[in-house]
Amino acid sequence: MTHLLKRCERALDEARRAGAEAAEVFGQTIRSISVGVEKNDVQISRSQQETMIGIRAFVGPRVGFACTNDPDQLAAAGADAVTLAKASPPDEHNRLPDAAPFAPVEGTFDPAAEQFGVSDAVRRATEILSIAEGIDRRVILGEGQFVAEVGERIVVNTDGLSAGERASLFSYFVVATAQDGEAVSNMDFQFGASRSVAGIEIAPIVERACRNALGSLGATKGESFVGSVILSPHAVQSILVQLLLFQLNAKNVLRGMSRWRDAIGKTVAVPSLVVSDDGRRPGGVATSSFDREGTPHRPMTVIENGVLRGFLHNAYTSRAMGQPNTGHASGSARSLPTIGPTNFSIAPGERPLEEMIGEVDRGILVTRFSGTADPVSGDFSGVAKAAHRIVHGRIDRPVTETLIAGNSFEALRSLSAISAERESIFAFTLPYVRLDGISVTGGE
Amino acid sequence: MQALLEAIAAEAGSWIELRFHARKTKRISIRNGILEESSTARLTGVGVRALVDGVLGFAATTDLSERGIRRAVADAQAAARESAPMKKSRIPDFGPAAFARGSHPLLTADPLDDHPLEEKLEWVMRADETVRRGGASIVSSSVQYEEFQDEKIIVTSDGASAHLIDAKPEFRVVAVAQANGDQTMGLDSTSVTGGWRDLFRRAPDEMAERAVRLAVDQLSAPHPAGGRATVVLDPGLVGVLSHEAIGHTVEADIVLGGAVTARMIGKQVASELVTLCDSGQSEHRPHATGTIPFDDEGIAAGRTVIIDRGVLRSYLHNRETAAHFGVEPTGNARAFEYSDDPIIRMRNTYIEPGETPVEELIAGVRTGYYLCGLGFGGQADSNAEFMFGVREARRIEGGRLGGLVRGATISGNAFDVLKSVDAVGNDFEWDLGAGRCGKTQLAKVDAGGPHLRCTATIGGRQG
Repeated sequence: MTHLLKRCERALDEARRAGAEAAEVFGQTIRSISVGVEKNDVQISRSQQETMIGIRAFVGPRVGFACTNDPDQLAAAGADAVTLAKASPPDEHNRLPDAAPFAPVEGTFDPAAEQFGVSDAVRRATEILSIAEGIDRRVILGEGQFVAEVGERIVVNTDGLSAGERASLFSYFVVATAQDGEAVSNMDFQFGASRSVAGIEIAPIVERACRNALGSLGATKGESFVGSVILSPHAVQSILVQLLLFQLNAKNVLRGMSRWRDAIGKTVAVPSLVVSDDGRRPGGVATSSFDREGTPHRPMTVIENGVLRGFLHNAYTSRAMGQPNTGHASGSARSLPTIGPTNFSIAPGERPLEEMIGEVDRGILVTRFSGTADPVSGDFSGVAKAAHRIVHGRIDRPVTETLIAGNSFEALRSLSAISAERESIFAFTLPYVRLDGISVTGGE
Repeated sequence: MQALLEAIAAEAGSWIELRFHARKTKRISIRNGILEESSTARLTGVGVRALVDGVLGFAATTDLSERGIRRAVADAQAAARESAPMKKSRIPDFGPAAFARGSHPLLTADPLDDHPLEEKLEWVMRADETVRRGGASIVSSSVQYEEFQDEKIIVTSDGASAHLIDAKPEFRVVAVAQANGDQTMGLDSTSVTGGWRDLFRRAPDEMAERAVRLAVDQLSAPHPAGGRATVVLDPGLVGVLSHEAIGHTVEADIVLGGAVTARMIGKQVASELVTLCDSGQSEHRPHATGTIPFDDEGIAAGRTVIIDRGVLRSYLHNRETAAHFGVEPTGNARAFEYSDDPIIRMRNTYIEPGETPVEELIAGVRTGYYLCGLGFGGQADSNAEFMFGVREARRIEGGRLGGLVRGATISGNAFDVLKSVDAVGNDFEWDLGAGRCGKTQLAKVDAGGPHLRCTATIGGRQG
């Protein structure tokens, strides 16, 4: 029995002793090392080790929550959770999740990660610097970070559930701009992540950030038109995925905030759109054997050929809506379970990006979107960053100060192409997407 | 614990700083009558910074045994040592400073722990009910209570050793009203360093009623005419301007990152009527949220005069930037949790009161606006350009207070606005609402001042 499991079981006993009729304990141990780089120099290196215990106590249909990282405070935390439960309004759906068999997945933990020390992390962080410096002297590395995490997570509850697993995660990001004389490019940022030491790949993300920054040097004002906009995977994330996640979250459906509350089985997007979430994908950044409540993640196609198939649920929303629990309870040991995606992806299309560009007579390619995208109404408007003008099927030149506006619900129903190429942004794997009839406002 | 930390610091060999931090947090959040969160957190740990070869390293641990803390010291030293060969810039040795010593208890007649969780939950639910009963036009309500109770011990190898007990509660009410597809929001919030009674200078019900009234009254109010105008700012908005638009531009790390203030020391940056300070004390009125006897580097947190009668005199420093600029640290290094490393933050930022009665400030305006508190939205850049939503705005006509206008914003360059100040009130309040500031970590801060009269750009949708 691990240290963490012992502490989780003690916490469960404390909750029972304080008067909980049912209880769940989520325990997390994390050892992390992080090294930042800024303005072409290494910043302060941090190492941290923490064990956090979150206790959810049920008294009848009432729930309370307390957390602590201090083993001497487990009894006090248990008592807090019960006190809060007793004083809270009842809700019949407040119960532990239904039992589901524990089904471990492989590949969440790399034993080599245990030997990964501060000097390894510093070396990786300085790799970000040296790669950027080697690419082009005009590149300015604004910021970057390398983080190594090794940990264990456990869920136990008074229904006899005991699920645990170890995990390792390496994540890194880089922010680059380019400067040539007076000309300063747009800022570009890129992320990468790996569950294993062998899978760490710094170079591709640094190269992509630098390439994008350099590519937007010398941008001039764009023109105004209504036409095609090709969104990069980053822009797809900002404009389409934020909307999808809000609309698919069963909590928002319950609150009456999702427009798709009665849309299961109905068409919400073009037939070529396939959206899925798979928390069990081998090697995935968000892969794990169970969710925040101990329920195994259910891999699901949420939008199949444009048709809505289901919502992301935790135990509470699945009961309240009478739908299967999909194992999407998320959050840390510091708060009550919420709902969130795992490894979330949009399936690739059949045609290469180049072909998608080739069909555009007049349009822009948007590398990054900076603006507002309201997940309730679907309206989006903002600045297309590091954008490139497309004329007669070819990338023409970088443009600046270009505004795009539209509606994401309409975009899903009318998008005209999805690329075969995809990029990973942490746990999101996304293609390029082409939208038509978008209003583009340039500064010319 | 203090003796143990002192013993470990004495043996460290190179400069180290040890910070023990035990925190109890309570959080209650209600939205539209549904309890979204009621939780407590008890976090205890030690954060360590070590300076090796002119490079800092940081480590944090929850293992409070002597072995555990010594391991964290070794980790922090290793983090510094391992980064040193790759690090281009070095920190010069830390210079002299006013080190904190002794024990600093919290002074309050009504400690938060004398009020059980049930009572706090009830107050929040009752305020939420008050909002929802506020009339047919009320469509949404939200109420939050949060408290942080801290015990800290800070020891450095060069002379600081001090103990602190602190409590910082906050309360926030938002009401949303709707009519004919049109939405308006009303807000009231408060935060202090102190106890329960110190927090509720206005009762929770009264705060809820105020938020409702503001949301409902704005529904029928016209938008302001945009453009430059003479305005009287209330202490809340004076605080927002001091903290958001001026304060951040004088944080020495932001200065080094290229803020507009980089070459402004000794220059006239505001009207001679303006003296702007940042302080760990709570001047003029008690219980300011950002009150700390010493910062998280163990430096006494006194009063720093940033602008003295219009002239920029000082930045806000930690030990590293103080060494860089060759001045003494100002006690502005703060860490939110034990696992955060201290960075430069404000405490209580304010403008000193002047001599003009508030009624005279308003009486002296032929046409203009009276602007109160921070509303929704806003931003400020390191070039001192800002735009804030105003919580409550009224017209001033012929020297008299007129009707409410809705959706007003104030914008401009903060130094230009301060240069335009022609009268400063003789009153004073602390009022930065819930008292939160974000800069990679959260910090509890306050801001305030007297009323003052100046010129600024007013915005608001036409129609």
